[in-house]
Amino acid sequence: MSGPPGTVPHRLTGRRVEPAEPLDLSGAGRGTAEAVRFLRECQALGLRVSWRATGTPSYDPALLRHLPPPAELGSWRTESAAWRAAHRHGSLYHRRGPDFVTVLDRRRPGTAARLTLDHPSLHGTFLRLLEPTPVDALDAVGREALGLLAAERLVLSAGGWAVTLPPRVRRWPVPCTAI
Amino acid sequence: MRVHLVTMPWHPLDLPSLQLGLLNRIVRGARPGDEVTEFHGSLRWAEFLLEHSGGRLRPGDYVAVGSDAIFHGLGDWVFSGVLYDDPAWGVARLRDYAAGRGVFIDTALAMRPYAASFVEACATEVLAAGPDVVGFTTTFMQNVPSLALARELKRRRPELTVVLGGSNCDGPMGHALHRNHPFVDHVVRGEAEYAFPALLRHLDAGTAPTDVPGLCWWDGTVSRANTETRRTVAPADIPAPDYDQWQTALDASPVQEYIHPKLVVEGARGCWWGEKHHCTFCGLNGTAMAFRAKPGERLWAEIDRLVRRHRLLDVVTVDNIIDMAYFRDFLPRVVDSGWDLRLHYEVKSNLTPAQLRLLGDSGTVHIQPGIESLGSRVLDLMDKGVTAVRNVRTLRECENHALTCSWNLLYGFPGETAEDYAPVIDQLPALVHLQPPSGAHRIQLERFSPHFTDPGLGFGKRRPAEMYQHVYELPEEELADLVYLFDSEPAGIGGPVEQRLKEAVAAWRAGHAHSRLLFEEDGAELLVHDRRHGRPPVTHRFTGWHAAALRHLEDGRTVPALHRLLAAGGHRVPTGDLDAWIGRAGELGLVFRDGAAYVSLPTWGEPVRLPEEAG
Repeated sequence: MSGPPGTVPHRLTGRRVEPAEPLDLSGAGRGTAEAVRFLRECQALGLRVSWRATGTPSYDPALLRHLPPPAELGSWRTESAAWRAAHRHGSLYHRRGPDFVTVLDRRRPGTAARLTLDHPSLHGTFLRLLEPTPVDALDAVGREALGLLAAERLVLSAGGWAVTLPPRVRRWPVPCTAI
Repeated sequence: MRVHLVTMPWHPLDLPSLQLGLLNRIVRGARPGDEVTEFHGSLRWAEFLLEHSGGRLRPGDYVAVGSDAIFHGLGDWVFSGVLYDDPAWGVARLRDYAAGRGVFIDTALAMRPYAASFVEACATEVLAAGPDVVGFTTTFMQNVPSLALARELKRRRPELTVVLGGSNCDGPMGHALHRNHPFVDHVVRGEAEYAFPALLRHLDAGTAPTDVPGLCWWDGTVSRANTETRRTVAPADIPAPDYDQWQTALDASPVQEYIHPKLVVEGARGCWWGEKHHCTFCGLNGTAMAFRAKPGERLWAEIDRLVRRHRLLDVVTVDNIIDMAYFRDFLPRVVDSGWDLRLHYEVKSNLTPAQLRLLGDSGTVHIQPGIESLGSRVLDLMDKGVTAVRNVRTLRECENHALTCSWNLLYGFPGETAEDYAPVIDQLPALVHLQPPSGAHRIQLERFSPHFTDPGLGFGKRRPAEMYQHVYELPEEELADLVYLFDSEPAGIGGPVEQRLKEAVAAWRAGHAHSRLLFEEDGAELLVHDRRHGRPPVTHRFTGWHAAALRHLEDGRTVPALHRLLAAGGHRVPTGDLDAWIGRAGELGLVFRDGAAYVSLPTWGEPVRLPEEAG
């Protein structure tokens, strides 16, 4: 088993992974975007993550509740309890097709929204932002797409950095029809 | 000519009709001048129920009646009152039937009041298309809804030509459907690729279709049934389905909010195993067992086109068994696409771990391996061509590759005994970490199966299944030709051992979610972490020949074969020691025994397990 890609230092033991440091979720910049990418990839690989959160989010932290929840510690105790209560495996994920991406969004209880991103700018920006990216690096078309994706809560844009939120399905659960 | 193709309830709401998709292409290919339109009555019915019940009867209810209640005929029954012009028809019979068997019928009862006005609305909509010919496809519980609409269409437009086809029309069933329903002009029996265009040519020319193999037609008031052909349709003549009209219907339907649409493709017809050894209980291939497959390259080209056109990544195959060549010329193409497809396939259970890995890598993560039993003698009785050890290995490999495995545990085979089941039932608790069957089910007698065609196999007495009494108002001798399922005297196990089997399967299903039995390599040690339901958590540590033996048994072997393998690996093990150790491994539930063979049970992989939800 290989670990999640990205810049977050971590230790991998079997299917368990532990970042070396608490993850900064303040939304102040690249650190948060990298932390989100790390958690997103752990979720995609079906790894169990033990991690601690730091920072006070400048954004709605409910955006992250499809990702593995942090330990219920310190200033994050209340939010992580709500996160854990709301977290369901597979509540938000994406799949790749030939020239489109589908997103399944079950974050709102009782709903299952299917989105097909096949407009080139939306499709391209969604894929590009799988890598944490400075908003300044996007051109006008990319920024417009970012606005639309953020409005659908598919991208976290905070502190001048943006990152795609839905993990890609790399490993289906059993039963595979449960998500 | 205007040809209108119809699929009525209870076609699955999340799937396009392969039959309509094929017929559309066939007619347009053979008769470019014809206009071909489609009516997706299944979607319409779900919409009608939603709207007219004020949102009370939803697509989930459609599935409960239309898919889950196939063995009780509830879907057909909903429309029987329309067919027989009597809203009360069969109500008392159904209530008696349900009370005797504990069948939940409230949803079907709630739907029936809507059936008559729905059929009227369908007739109006179908006739608005101005068809010359209306062709119905009928499979499973589509008979009565189709007949009810056909009757209404002919009442309003007697000059219209009504044609029925599909699996329900195969063999004598098609002739019985025809002769008992004079408003059905023609029944196409068997594959339609050649027969349907041939019929249309006769209709155009006004000639009697005496030369269309298998066709049923009216000669005055006499129902004629042409001799069926043994010639099957060549794969090159089976077109790629066209789902454009389905997509249009779905896009306009409020039902789409409730479902996850999937594509349906067909790689092969018939069964290559059944050609050699027909599983004794199976009638699914009807009169056309001959196995024919499209080349893998072509199947992939069809999927490629459909995925791009419909923007859907879920694909259901209808093949009764995968073509083994697809492991070379189809599945690698799926892997190479890099797309996140999710495929459903029926396979044979004796696949190798490498083949199961390829299925997983390609996204063929939902498989139906026809496991049927975990006792080799019972598997022999049904001529399944697989051993229990191989079946258990397949279940174990499904865990290793995160494959969702749909299977049933079947019993009730003539000649089976309690002694065949006792050792299996005793070992089921050790399998609790593997995916359980949907349940333990007594086999039903199916038309076209060896059990049906050869009464000498043990089902000598048979009559149409009791459920048809609340579906059709027909004499028993007509039903005997028309229906697919039959009741017979129970065979095989019964009484306490049947009860024990059902309880053991129920316990398996209840204990599965939190059960694990995992291998881990730790230097020279082989660890087995046992976290199975009903046992204290423990980690076993194996070294030397014990570890080697457990690994060798992953493939399933007899003790002498294992002994030889250990010796070849430099392990000199006294036979008595090996016997004692394997006995101990059995007591710990680390191996499964079937006769003289053993297979080890721990897995290397641990899929994410979730509760069932509508996919």
